[in-house]
Amino acid sequence: MLMDGKVVLVTGASRGIGASIARAFAKEGALVIINYLQNREAAERVAKECSDLGGEGWPIQGDVTNELAVQEMIEEAMEAGSIDVLVNNAFKSYIFDAENRKPAGELSWPEYQEQIDGSLQSAYNMCQAVIPIMKTQSKGSIINITTNLIERPVVPYHDYNTGKSALAGYSKNLAADLGRFGIRVNCVAPGLVYPTDATKHTKQDLKDSIISQTPLRRLAKPEDIAGPVLFLASDMSSFITGQTLMVDGGLVMK
Amino acid sequence: MEITAGYLPEMNNETIEYREIIYSYNGLTAKVKVPQLSPQQLSKIMSIVKANAHILKSFSVSELVAIIDQAIHILLDRQSKQRRLAETWLPIITGYDQEIIRTGLTTFLQRFRKHELQRFLVEDFGNPQLLDDFQPLVKGGYSKAVGADVTGHIWAGNVPGLPLWSFISALLVKSGSVGKTASEEPLFAGLFADILAEVEPKIKNCFAIVTWKGGDEEREALFFEGCETIIAYGSDQSLASIKQRVPVTSKLISHGHKISFSIIGKESLHMQKAVETSHLAALDLIRYDQQGCYSPQAIFVQKGGLITPGEFAKYLAHELSALEIRFPRRELSIEESASFIRNQQREEMSLFAEENKEIISDENGRWIVIYKDHSSEFLPSVLNRSIQVFAFDEIDEVLEKIKHYKKWLQTAGMSTSPENVFLWSQKLSLHGVTRMTGIGRMTSPEAGWHQDGGFSLADLVKMTDIEASTLELAEPLSAYSN
Repeated sequence: MLMDGKVVLVTGASRGIGASIARAFAKEGALVIINYLQNREAAERVAKECSDLGGEGWPIQGDVTNELAVQEMIEEAMEAGSIDVLVNNAFKSYIFDAENRKPAGELSWPEYQEQIDGSLQSAYNMCQAVIPIMKTQSKGSIINITTNLIERPVVPYHDYNTGKSALAGYSKNLAADLGRFGIRVNCVAPGLVYPTDATKHTKQDLKDSIISQTPLRRLAKPEDIAGPVLFLASDMSSFITGQTLMVDGGLVMK
Repeated sequence: MEITAGYLPEMNNETIEYREIIYSYNGLTAKVKVPQLSPQQLSKIMSIVKANAHILKSFSVSELVAIIDQAIHILLDRQSKQRRLAETWLPIITGYDQEIIRTGLTTFLQRFRKHELQRFLVEDFGNPQLLDDFQPLVKGGYSKAVGADVTGHIWAGNVPGLPLWSFISALLVKSGSVGKTASEEPLFAGLFADILAEVEPKIKNCFAIVTWKGGDEEREALFFEGCETIIAYGSDQSLASIKQRVPVTSKLISHGHKISFSIIGKESLHMQKAVETSHLAALDLIRYDQQGCYSPQAIFVQKGGLITPGEFAKYLAHELSALEIRFPRRELSIEESASFIRNQQREEMSLFAEENKEIISDENGRWIVIYKDHSSEFLPSVLNRSIQVFAFDEIDEVLEKIKHYKKWLQTAGMSTSPENVFLWSQKLSLHGVTRMTGIGRMTSPEAGWHQDGGFSLADLVKMTDIEASTLELAEPLSAYSN
């Protein structure tokens, strides 16, 4: 199998896209560390599903925005012996309300800061803890989940999109410096994924409008994101780094 | 595929028997036929080469340089029949990757072009005409350098082209050659002899490339007896056995196994330089999988740079993994493979006992970097892309580690400031190191290098003097004396 014997850490993996990614790795034989913040029950459910799929699931609680908590989590995770893949999927909860979003000029700096911290700082904390481990292995793959909105702000969620843009820039710079250690850093940028907790209330109008401009004529499902993540994690993409894969049915073409 | 190796002078209807050696690599099989001479035939060959030595001596040294240069250019020409033969057969015989052989051969052969040979000669003789005629000396009198009639070569190992060092050296001093190839690579020396004979048919009986099973006392006794000078490569053990049997009247120059290493100064360890430095260091390792005497077995990395020695070990590991894709390591024999794995296991066992030790290895066991802090010992490497990296503060710590190996030390690859080059070289020279070179250049010694501290050419000649008094006495005896 593609990920036999590999240890994969997915942040925010108790639900939605994260859970779907965890399951996909387990199906390919990986030991998946399922990081969650609050919902222990959901994380354990995902872990069980992972085992049923032929891999292994191991839920570990940890607040990724907290440096100390991250360090403790990685220490615990290292009981697995290594961390081959890190997927930074967790993000600060955000209400995607296209109708009631704040227009340009009306957001306070703390609002921006909150999203930058939620998106970038959490990935930073994780990378800081995991990179030294990957260096010793002389190999590793880091995948950061961003959004296609950073390329084409169909809905300009200023704070959220700016936070994710920062993460995309951070990723490229890591890629440039970590290639020499055999560590690859890439991003997966989904379009609107439905259904997830964050999008279950998205209005039909917006969904229709996006679908009408999407060559593949539908919205992304959580499982659609897992494939490209798996690809970037595996040796199938061993010569790809610093890239962003848009997973939005062709809405954004670069 | 089948090819005949070796080179024999004209022997008038002798029936030569051939022995077949089979090599396989990457699913290809090569059958190499090597001449299997009877003791009488070997003896005859020695006499032919000796009898023809005067032909070589009738050429001027610059004529010989031109002949060698022409032969080398045939091998440098990638379209030539002989170059294509070398590129086809050597990978199968030696197991080295085609790309390594192709690029390695070119770099190696360039050393023997005309202008390099001229430097080679000047290096050892100052005035190369010493090989042609008596030349005046500053102290008075005249001297001439006279090469042996027959120089014998016993080659070892599988690094392609290596026999050319001593073969060409002997030619330059106008000495005939009888060379015994190693079973690991019996082809290249004979191929070169063929080209020489083609370029200048007059010298076709001045050399022979033969083989026999190492330790064959009857043939070796004939061989040692027939050579004035013997250049032997091999392990300490086989050299000791040769030494016992070489007659006192013959000169033996032996090149045993050596230990080489690199030293990286902190100046090379900043963000802009460290990647390049690690790349160069890795190239020294992958070229012929550390089989050369000049290949590094350890890398000493100075602390105090922006990149720590431990971090450098990781850079090196990734370079090795990237180079493995471009220049894969050759397939190891079962013994080599077992020794590589045993070494890895031994190093891993001591991971817990040795603080700060780190091992970075390829999952398929094709390279290994062992990082040790200064308390650990430097042990000779099992080679085949296995390298120890040590951290050090001051050069004296390096000296402490290498001092047990004084008898075996040879090359130190360096990357540091000019001041340190001289400071460190001064100290290393007292510890037995005979060659300093830039990292990335360790496996390509310059023409005219002093291999193992000796003179490649000067050691092959007898200097013959006409003392000033001879002429003082002679002057009044001339027909035109007043």
